[in-house]
Amino acid sequence: MSFIILIAAGLLVPVFYKSNIFIAKLIAVLAFIASAYFVYTNQSLSSVFPLFVTDSATKLIEYVLLATLAAVSLSLTGFERPLIAQMLFIAGLSLAILETDNFFVFIVLFESIAIVSYILVANIRNFYNAEGAVKAFIAGAVASGIILLGFAFFSFTTESFTYSQMSVNGKFTLIAVAIMLAGVFYKLTIVPMHAWAADTYSQVNHAAAAILSGVIKSVMLIAIFKAFYKFMIAYPLATVLIFSFFAIITMTLANFMALWQKRISKILAYSSIAHSGYALIPFAAAASVYSYAGVLYYAIAYIFMQTSVFLILNDLRREGGVKFLEDIKGLGIKAPVHAFLFTVQLFSLAGIPLLAGFMSKAVAFYSGVDAGLWPIVLIAVLNSALAVAYYAWIVKHIYFDKPVNNVKLSITPGSLIGQLILLAGTIYFGIFASGVFNATISM
Amino acid sequence: MVAVDIIFAPIFLSVLVYYLTKSTPQYTKYIALGWFIVEFFIAFSWYKDLPQVGFLELGNYLNVPQFGFDLTLRVDALSIAMLLLTSALLILVVFTSWEEKNQAAYFSLLIMFSGPIFGVFMTTNVLWFFIFWELTLVPMYFLVGIWGGEKRIYAAIKFFLFTHVFAMFMFVGFFLLFKQTGYWDLTLIKEAALTTPALIWWLMFLGFAAKLPVFPLHTWLPVAHVEAPSSISVLLAGVLLKMGAYGLIRFTVELMPAATKEFAIWMVIIGLTTTLFAGMLAIFERHIKRMVAYSSISHMGLVVVAVSTMTYDGLSAALYEMIGHALVISPLFLIAGWLHHKTHTWYMDEMGGIMKYAPYASAIFILAGMAALGLPGTMGFVGELTIIVSAIKAYGWWIAIIALGSLISAGYIIWAVRRSIHGEASDTVIKSDFSMTIAEKFALAVFAVLIVYFGINPQPIFDLANQAFGFLGGM
Repeated sequence: MSFIILIAAGLLVPVFYKSNIFIAKLIAVLAFIASAYFVYTNQSLSSVFPLFVTDSATKLIEYVLLATLAAVSLSLTGFERPLIAQMLFIAGLSLAILETDNFFVFIVLFESIAIVSYILVANIRNFYNAEGAVKAFIAGAVASGIILLGFAFFSFTTESFTYSQMSVNGKFTLIAVAIMLAGVFYKLTIVPMHAWAADTYSQVNHAAAAILSGVIKSVMLIAIFKAFYKFMIAYPLATVLIFSFFAIITMTLANFMALWQKRISKILAYSSIAHSGYALIPFAAAASVYSYAGVLYYAIAYIFMQTSVFLILNDLRREGGVKFLEDIKGLGIKAPVHAFLFTVQLFSLAGIPLLAGFMSKAVAFYSGVDAGLWPIVLIAVLNSALAVAYYAWIVKHIYFDKPVNNVKLSITPGSLIGQLILLAGTIYFGIFASGVFNATISM
Repeated sequence: MVAVDIIFAPIFLSVLVYYLTKSTPQYTKYIALGWFIVEFFIAFSWYKDLPQVGFLELGNYLNVPQFGFDLTLRVDALSIAMLLLTSALLILVVFTSWEEKNQAAYFSLLIMFSGPIFGVFMTTNVLWFFIFWELTLVPMYFLVGIWGGEKRIYAAIKFFLFTHVFAMFMFVGFFLLFKQTGYWDLTLIKEAALTTPALIWWLMFLGFAAKLPVFPLHTWLPVAHVEAPSSISVLLAGVLLKMGAYGLIRFTVELMPAATKEFAIWMVIIGLTTTLFAGMLAIFERHIKRMVAYSSISHMGLVVVAVSTMTYDGLSAALYEMIGHALVISPLFLIAGWLHHKTHTWYMDEMGGIMKYAPYASAIFILAGMAALGLPGTMGFVGELTIIVSAIKAYGWWIAIIALGSLISAGYIIWAVRRSIHGEASDTVIKSDFSMTIAEKFALAVFAVLIVYFGINPQPIFDLANQAFGFLGGM
């Protein structure tokens, strides 16, 4: 039911774009609220199709996803109006991919989300937009090809595509899964398949980047974890080796790259890549009982903070032409509300306690320690300490430096409400952890 | 509910206070002062309720049963000592920064700081301990970075990164504790057998040692202390450094006594090196505030040695020295910062003859300086004497070289007094205006009275120590 509402709203909304964006936004928000209600009453895809199941963890991430997208749609302006419909489609497809328990359906939805995300970045206004969009498209197309190749191999060895009944034996499966992982890693922006992400995230419209890097990536994290869980349990040694190797190189490289950047959007893009690296630790620690909680917590925290920082940056670029680190000097005086929200979310990304970013890191890293991978966790925590350097550096520009000019920026009511929803999520999940743990108990 | 509110309320209220008093910043300091006084009395009321042995239970909050993770609040005499010290210092810090610029933001950040710092000393849950530990960095980062001196940004970022990086080692150590025991609560972990205590011990020791700080992890401290406004230096020296010492006692001694015994000799070596090395650095320092900062590091070395003995005497000496250090070093910092504010120079050889122009501040500087070098009748004497005695008892006569620390401190304090307080007045001093506000005078007087009072009558602190470390056996 929620799926139908979201898709229908996605088709309906473009009718109102030109005439009145307010109505378009209203329809989108109502659609998100309605589908959240239907998720609550279990009237989702699983009640109609046998290929879908819901559990409490899926429901939790669905609420978070819908709330985030509602927040995003509130803060959009007329310039970004096509995003509203695309977000509704993404929401519908995300709900489906989160609920599916069939590998074939997973691949189909994975590709569908990829296609919508190409449209998402295709709002091309200038040369730089075009570079980002084309990179995203080509990298995505290559990833799709690789995943399909791996899936073709995989389909030889298994009789059923249902997650719990897949047979994952033999070297052939291992090769097939390895090929698929290469494609999946493109989407999760894992080094060395990350090259497109930094340019795309920083050069497309920042609201689109918020959805692409914040929302889609965290949905993918959980969907991929569920899809490959059987494999990860079946081959513990390969899992630990592959995922910890990629986790370490991803976070280390991305953090060092982020340190040198001058463009804020690039810093945030590389920080997003680094976060993919941290998020791989619970994958490596699939043997631990806390791995699912780790992935879920990470996705929840990440969706709030990453979406929020890109949206704030979007506001700042639109209103104040903020692009480089120099431009945000003295933002604490020029735009106090933006500056405060930005700082809180940056601290959350940095992993400062009482914010969701800390708890998510704690749970994800603990799952690593629980699986006996403490040296890798030590590298990860040192990396996240390194990351504090560039987050603190941005905050330094915001509060410690004198403003270059005295242009005051005010926040629009819609954007403020949207940001407050995201802030509430960041703070709530930073203090109250029991909801997430209760949700994963069913796994 | 009081217990959990006293931690969380200030964190969120500070934002509210900031926005409410933005147009009338002159009221923020009264709110801050009132809040800190309330905190002091709450801490005092817990002290009255304290059982003779062990912890006073203040409740469990925010339970996550699947993870065995909840905010357990318990206080014992050691935490109470720290809480009383912290809230008293916070009250005095309000007085010493009475005329700080941009008051709404400054005092809101102080209020924000008071929450997590109480959390650090109140919780017995190691993960929450870490959470509060990290949270104290945020207000400090802004306080140093906005109100500091010329190189404040470098200092703030270095301080933040240094303590954060080393805290991360501790973080992994806490994970390993939970992995091996299944508990986050340190009273429960204590009974469990750890299979790799050496690894966990070193991971934790690194975190605490960087905060203390000991040689060679001390490099953030002189920079942070010099650049921070002097009231914030008081908090850095009086409270943040104590977090390291508190952690050392709570975690290494109480949690892993066997491992501490094994590595005690390392602690002694590190502590001795810190004391002597930082003392030597202080002797060669012309910069008055940096000299005080090195002297502060030097005293922390003594605390490490005292903790490493793991005897009742050693730990109570350490507790006494922790409190003594806070009360002695704070007026030194305040006066050093005040002198800079008035004369616009940091260098002692450009001062001189201040006694004649600012007798009140000079007298207290000399008193605190004498306490720092261990003059009988002041807190410094009792602290250093008990530490040396307990160390000799534990390790034999050779440890008496630690007394060299006092000798060195006599050198730099007396020389500093000679150069800045006495002697010929320089032109800068003659031209300067040495007026002092009533609030500052009051705060300095309180420090001076406490230094002498506890120096002559150390019993109240040793009573607290007796309650805190009674489990280690009698004298």
